[in-house]
Amino acid sequence: MIVGPLLSVAALGLLAGMVLGPRRPRFWLGATLVATTASLAAALTILLGFEPTWEWSGAFRLGGELPHLRLDAISALFLALLSVVGGAGAAYSRDYWSDHHYPKSSGRGRLWWSGLVLMMGLVLLEANGLHFLIAWELFTLCGYMLITLENRGRKVRAAGWLYLAASHAGTLCLFAFFSLLASRTGSWELGPQLRECAMLTPLFWLALAGFGVKAGVFPLHVWLPSAHANAPSHVSAILSGVAIKMGVYGIVRFSGWLPPPVQAGWVVIALGAVGALFGIAFAFAQNDLKRLLAYCSVENVGVILIGLGAALLGAAHGDAVWGRLALVGALLHVWNHGLFKALLFFGAGSVLHATGTRDMSRLGGLWTKMPWTASLFALGALAVSGLPPLNGFVSEWLIYLGLFDAGIAHSPAAWAAMPVAIVLGMAGALALASFAKAGALTFCGAPRTKRVAHAHEGGAWMIGPMLVLGAACVAIGLAPALLWPVVGRVAGAWNPAWAAADAAPVQLATLGGVHVVLALLVLAAVLFLLRRSLANGLRRGLTWDCGYAAPTGRMQYTAGSFSGIAAGWFFWLFRTENTAQRPHGPLPAGARRVERVPETVLEKLIGPVGAGVLRLSTAVRRLQHGRLQSYILYLVAGLAALSALVLTGGAR
Amino acid sequence: MLITILYGILRLALWLLLAPLLPGIVNKVKAWVAGRRGPPVLQLYYDLARLWRKGVVLSTLASPGFLAGPAVGWVAIVGAALLLPLGPAGSVLGFRGDVLLLIYLLALARFCTVWAALETGSAFEGMGSVREVSYAVLTEAAILAAVLSLCVHNRGLALAEILAPSAGAGATLLAAGLFTVLLAENCRVPFDDPNTHLELTMIHEAMILDHSGPPLAAILHGASVKLLLFSVLLVQAVLPIGAFAPLAGIGVLVGGVLVTTVGVGLVESLLARFAFKQVPFLLTLAFLLCLFALLVAWKGGAA
Amino acid sequence: MNGTLNLLIGLTMGLNLMALGSSRIPSLIRAMSVQGVVLGVMPLLIEHLFGWEAMLRHWPVLLVAVATITVKGIVIPRLLNRAMRAANIDRDMEPLIGYVPSILLGAGGTIAAMALARSLPLLPEHAGSLLVPGALASVLTGFVLLIGRTKAISQVCGYLILENGIYLFGLLLIHATPLLVEAGILLDLTVGVFVIGIIVDHIQRAFDSLDTRKLTVLRE
Repeated sequence: MIVGPLLSVAALGLLAGMVLGPRRPRFWLGATLVATTASLAAALTILLGFEPTWEWSGAFRLGGELPHLRLDAISALFLALLSVVGGAGAAYSRDYWSDHHYPKSSGRGRLWWSGLVLMMGLVLLEANGLHFLIAWELFTLCGYMLITLENRGRKVRAAGWLYLAASHAGTLCLFAFFSLLASRTGSWELGPQLRECAMLTPLFWLALAGFGVKAGVFPLHVWLPSAHANAPSHVSAILSGVAIKMGVYGIVRFSGWLPPPVQAGWVVIALGAVGALFGIAFAFAQNDLKRLLAYCSVENVGVILIGLGAALLGAAHGDAVWGRLALVGALLHVWNHGLFKALLFFGAGSVLHATGTRDMSRLGGLWTKMPWTASLFALGALAVSGLPPLNGFVSEWLIYLGLFDAGIAHSPAAWAAMPVAIVLGMAGALALASFAKAGALTFCGAPRTKRVAHAHEGGAWMIGPMLVLGAACVAIGLAPALLWPVVGRVAGAWNPAWAAADAAPVQLATLGGVHVVLALLVLAAVLFLLRRSLANGLRRGLTWDCGYAAPTGRMQYTAGSFSGIAAGWFFWLFRTENTAQRPHGPLPAGARRVERVPETVLEKLIGPVGAGVLRLSTAVRRLQHGRLQSYILYLVAGLAALSALVLTGGAR
Repeated sequence: MLITILYGILRLALWLLLAPLLPGIVNKVKAWVAGRRGPPVLQLYYDLARLWRKGVVLSTLASPGFLAGPAVGWVAIVGAALLLPLGPAGSVLGFRGDVLLLIYLLALARFCTVWAALETGSAFEGMGSVREVSYAVLTEAAILAAVLSLCVHNRGLALAEILAPSAGAGATLLAAGLFTVLLAENCRVPFDDPNTHLELTMIHEAMILDHSGPPLAAILHGASVKLLLFSVLLVQAVLPIGAFAPLAGIGVLVGGVLVTTVGVGLVESLLARFAFKQVPFLLTLAFLLCLFALLVAWKGGAA
Repeated sequence: MNGTLNLLIGLTMGLNLMALGSSRIPSLIRAMSVQGVVLGVMPLLIEHLFGWEAMLRHWPVLLVAVATITVKGIVIPRLLNRAMRAANIDRDMEPLIGYVPSILLGAGGTIAAMALARSLPLLPEHAGSLLVPGALASVLTGFVLLIGRTKAISQVCGYLILENGIYLFGLLLIHATPLLVEAGILLDLTVGVFVIGIIVDHIQRAFDSLDTRKLTVLRE
């Protein structure tokens, strides 16, 4: 009985934030925090099983339809993530995008932030197709407004446009999807009753394409890197942590509600594997810190899709238990990725705030100036690489278990599961490489430019949210068994056959125990080694560097050289562009060499195709030139063609 | 409960004490092939004791992470070793999926080593780190294929289930693949030369150039535990130790580890280090060997 | 005997990969000749010929085996080695498909062949045997070598490995067809290799190189 009031408080808080926020930052922050806390409480009420699914229908018509909201376990899972990241981002933006630094856009930023959170919440709650579409569209628009908050840069505007165009291509699919759904079922109502209608099966592909664009599924991810890199960092955090999860939500939701096609599992798991491997390969090759993080989101969506695809395969092969394992892993990864990716984007934001650059080859040695950010970023890097004892490992472990069990069970699905498990391992190793690069090149070593040497740590409002997110990462890693019933309930909502939640069939409690012991041992070992070193005598000296006496920051390994070996393996995908100016003559004036990994899919695939379409349209436009005589000729030609069609009987 | 903990501590002591023996044996074999007398087998113990008493020279750039890296890496490797069952003795704490924890603990150790290396801002250490993380992508694929083949063949997901009972038909393939992985993961010839002093050509050694004193001792000891870990893993994956009587099983395990170690020494004496360009090729081969072992296991299970 | 036979076919597949991965032409030729010997032993295994008496009774099979081993294992490799020495090359320096990609292709092809063979309508006695996947994999390896290598000698090796695949297919029919077929293939092949040997020699003399890409001028 408590969910309704909590959600009303949340909605009211966000609305008040939208109305009053632009002028009153403190009130806005308070209102947003209250609202997100309330919605988090509502989501947890459902997730912990205190209350069954919450439903509400209005008595008035909105756009010809009765409003219908529903909060079930799947929605609640995503709503909880939205609440945490929405609140943390609001707190982070207090100092990061303050009136003092951005007098022009900070007010707008608050307005659209509340709007974005509200609309995403609405998308999660909607149980009416028409209203879902409206909320979806508004959510996209809020996202655009936030990306282009600092709209003076050409790159930012281009990124915003690309986001808007790609999102609308996706929305087009969704329009088709929902209207076909409505016409085949006779109503806009959404819900588990759709599963009974076999006619809806082919619509799954439309939903996959439409939601896939938002989720950044690999070949449809083109908008994602530039939008995430150019948006303000707290916006990047919520876009990457939550907004792309809305796409995942759509895929999860409708793969559960629609009767999925036979090939659905195979296609989804293949998309996931491709996204995981190629996404992280692109991430490794980036020199821009935020772009690296953005591509890593493509990878993590791939990981989630691998789990979901395995779940679909499991459901198709007699509701096998391994499918449930993979699904639980995927759902848990939704949370985990939201948490650590927001943490990492906040960290990148602090770096950007302090130094004014995102280029890793110009950063370095920041840990002396920003010890908090450095340690929290390192924690996030460990988590995102899927290393024990943190949360990323728990969810990847569950997905692995699902995939391995499919192989052990000798199910036909093993032909997908076993190769994908190997791909997942390679993606994990590349993620480790990427984040060793991102963290260590940014925070360790010597400063590469002067500007970096004068960096400063962000304030308590910037560190605080990062601490909260980092603590959540550690908590999930150390006590995963507590989450099993929660996520198990969501899996039950997805596939009723798995609803009979048994006690954890996997030994999550054992894993949690091992993680706790590991964490304690790590702490003990670090302290012990530190004490021993101090007792033996600790002397500071230059980095040895094999005897070189005057090393400078510029002599360190750069971001580009760090990914050199692996980039060579993916040359056929990257199409790396080199521009070199060689030194000439006996006293060369200057030389430079720039290596750039282009947005291959966008520039080499979609760009040329788009240009071709444009040329074709231009050619067709020549038909329209304003001469009356020609128009009459068209008419006559059209009539003749029609009559020919009738005469030959082709129009029957 | 108490007994389990005591037993675990006993096993831990066994791992920690025996591990530094292996590099000594490898060096002895190398010396023997070259016709030299060579350093004593216990040389690494002396080195570790000496390093443990020495002071630390710390780069001016290094953060506390530079000291934490070796500590975390050491704990991760030793933890992974403890997960491993020892023939008839089984594992201390076996559970479904512990094999993945083992793989990822090794990855954690790698992350920490690389992070600590990059703390110094030296280009050499950067080079070593790049090689380490890049080649790990291929070894990871090979290890996963090998583990999958063991899981599919023995129909289990816990290390104790997949290692002890029986060796598969693809054991030869698996042996070749895992031995190559062992050489690569432990930075032995032909992937890396642990004795070289030419920084440009090293992987592991290049990453630890700036370490000294107790942290270096932790790194060296961790490396020896890792070598022992991989030898034990290889022997148990390939030989049907479960088919022997308990005591004989222990004997076979110890003998197998010795043979593996001598094999490493022989490879090191007879083979030159490969050019770095050939490393991916060799690792791909190792991956394919493990992949075909998986295929054999799959076909064997289907029949 | 299925187990031993499968082991030999597995060995053949391994040799395929070795051929794909070897950058030096002598090792390519060696892989091919070992493969020839392995293939030569197979008819004996299939017909269960383990004693002199049995062998003499089925003398045509014995003849084929001996001929195969001699031709594929000894004669052709010798010829190729001689051609190689005459042309003074021992490496395929710039393959069109690199060594790692071609070995991955070969492995992927082998796995695909396994999967494909399962769906083929085979006789029940061949269901458990690796003959068909082995044959398909060898044919594919031959094609990869023919497509990916630039030197004429490596391409000849590719052609021979392709032929080995066809030979493996032929073993399926060893009960049904007269062994003349195999003998015919062998003869055909020997002639082919002689011709190629002569051509190699002539290419070498005319162009001072064995790079087949330079032959595109002759497309008229």
